[in-house]
Amino acid sequence: MTTFITRRILQTLAVIVILSYVCFYLMSLMPGDPVDMMVASNPKITAEDVARLKSLYGLDQPVYKRYASWMGSIVQGDLGYSRTYRVPVQELMGPRLWNTFLLSAISLILSIAIAVPLGVLSALKPGSKTDYVVNLFSFGGISIPSFWLAIVLIILFAVKFPLLPAGGTQTIGAENMGFWADIKDRSIYLILPVLSLSIQQIGRFSRFTRSTMLEAMRNDFIRTARAKGLSRSTVIWQHGFRNALIPLITILALSFSGLFSGAILTETVFAYQGVGKLVYDSIIGNDYNVAMISFVISVSMVLLMNLVADILYGFADPRISYQ
Amino acid sequence: MSEMTMNEVEIETNQLSSKDRAELEKAQPMWKMVLTQFMDHKLAVAGAVIITLFMLVAIFAGTIQSITDIDPDAQNVGNRYLPPLTTAQVGQDVRETDIERYITENPEAADAVQKALVEKEIVAVAEADAIYELGAKETKEAISALQSLSLKEAAGFISLFKSFETFHLFGTDELGRDVFIRLVYGTRVSMGVGVLVAIASALIGLLIGSIAGFYGGLVDTLLMRVTDALLSLPHIPVLIVIAAIDMSKIPWLKAIISTSNESVFKMIIILCLFSWMSVARLVRGSILSIREREFVLAARTLGAKDSTIIVRHMFPNVIAPMLVAITLGVGESILFEAALSFLGLGIMPPTPSWGNMLNNAQELIYQAPFLAILPGLLIFLTTVSFNYLGDGLQDAIDPKAIRR
Repeated sequence: MTTFITRRILQTLAVIVILSYVCFYLMSLMPGDPVDMMVASNPKITAEDVARLKSLYGLDQPVYKRYASWMGSIVQGDLGYSRTYRVPVQELMGPRLWNTFLLSAISLILSIAIAVPLGVLSALKPGSKTDYVVNLFSFGGISIPSFWLAIVLIILFAVKFPLLPAGGTQTIGAENMGFWADIKDRSIYLILPVLSLSIQQIGRFSRFTRSTMLEAMRNDFIRTARAKGLSRSTVIWQHGFRNALIPLITILALSFSGLFSGAILTETVFAYQGVGKLVYDSIIGNDYNVAMISFVISVSMVLLMNLVADILYGFADPRISYQ
Repeated sequence: MSEMTMNEVEIETNQLSSKDRAELEKAQPMWKMVLTQFMDHKLAVAGAVIITLFMLVAIFAGTIQSITDIDPDAQNVGNRYLPPLTTAQVGQDVRETDIERYITENPEAADAVQKALVEKEIVAVAEADAIYELGAKETKEAISALQSLSLKEAAGFISLFKSFETFHLFGTDELGRDVFIRLVYGTRVSMGVGVLVAIASALIGLLIGSIAGFYGGLVDTLLMRVTDALLSLPHIPVLIVIAAIDMSKIPWLKAIISTSNESVFKMIIILCLFSWMSVARLVRGSILSIREREFVLAARTLGAKDSTIIVRHMFPNVIAPMLVAITLGVGESILFEAALSFLGLGIMPPTPSWGNMLNNAQELIYQAPFLAILPGLLIFLTTVSFNYLGDGLQDAIDPKAIRR
């Protein structure tokens, strides 16, 4: 078990390092570097100044050398400085990470809480009206573009019926109004983003729960359990669902990447101040340090979640051994 | 239980005439069985119909444009944010330049019409200004005035005046462009990108999956590690990074990409890079299970080359699940394209795509909420149709799936 986890952590680290290099290389392919932008905003700058600045910032070095020096400062705990926000990247990341965590965690919990019972329900009565409706709903959920759903929600609940804020993270000054007022304020801002992020996950999860549950309920031991005279709920949850759990954990683990992708779109539409919006804004605004760090952090989070899911298998299914 | 049903069937067939019997006992070809199965899935059939409709729109976009006579790029700043089903008048300045151009091109016709207009006292100005004066009036009024002249020279002017009035089925956008015709062209771009990406990535996946499955060992481990790593990545941030780069900085891509279609090409390449993995895993799985089968052994004993075994003996066995994967892939690609174009990193304006039509719509939800509805609805309809089509195909092709 321990060797398995160590090996997986090392693998994950290797993937993160390779990816960060690829990302670094890709960023160097983006049009314009910081000095080019400086030149564009200041016509008086001379060619010698440009050359001097480029060598000062190391921009005349090949990509791998720049990557090495960037990595060196990261290891020493210096994440760099944001050119857009004029603050060190460390200060920027903390609240952003927390916001994204809040958004993703709530919508993940909500979608599991809704989708798993729906999926089980429709799997128990395949071909019934319930099954049909759940199926229709999950197909719709999978196919709906989440950013468009977000816009439609804004039009409905912020423009036509102004009940909820159209975007943002919290009302300015609300954090000084006391603990509960702050929580209430933030949750009002979270309703629409969570809703638009969850619909797709609900569709995907309920469809998947249905198929794995159908598979599980067709096993011989289900018939045996029924024949023993066990109660219906014991058969369904202890014998059926327990066996449907393993593929479900896989899809949950894979959904983290989807959740994060969705979070970028949702955060952009709702102007929600999370890491997703930071990734987007910094790449558009050519803010290298922020873009690199937020990209690496978001990818690492997803990979770590996959690792956690792998470890969870062991608890869900004792038959799986880590050799 | 099963025996009883067998008996019942026996009794029923005994009552059939010999002709019906022959009909029943004749073996059905594969495609017919698949088709019958497929037709049972009502929503999948509906999806297929919708997709066919959109495909036709995409293919005949040019014809639709010539019938409606609206230019998708024609801007009309005076008529922004028109609601659906309205008729718009072209601005005064545009009319005057158009009339001036027409008069210099056809001086004789203009002379005749100007004379007639003044003679019949429709306008009370000098001859040289007569047509301009008409242009200042309501388009309908001007046309009826021109028609009352009953001159053959006026025909050109009538069609000119008619072009001053445009009908907008779905209204106009922030630059006064017609939304309907832009949606039609957007269908071509979005569907084209979706279908091309799905097919191309299926081919990449087929290649990688079959190599990994057939050769196994180190090749397999290496390829599958890469596949898994790519699968676990969050797609949108990676796609944003790649979409933001300047492709022409990569030397070998410079040759393929020209500036006019750069964004469409870039979109297809980027989406292909990140959508072949599921097909590769699927193909690898099937090939692994086929590899040990007798017919492969037989082919090998007969001295067939590796490539022959893969292409001639293995590919026919993976075509069916691949077809399903391609269908589902189209829907996914359309969603990704729309998401990237919505963020402003995909298809670049003025080329319309469903995604980039939504890009500006968000800022305009107060002035023109309808702009945000239609493109999204089309994306939704197409994706849901492709998903249902894929689901129906899966049920029809895979006999194990008959368990609904």
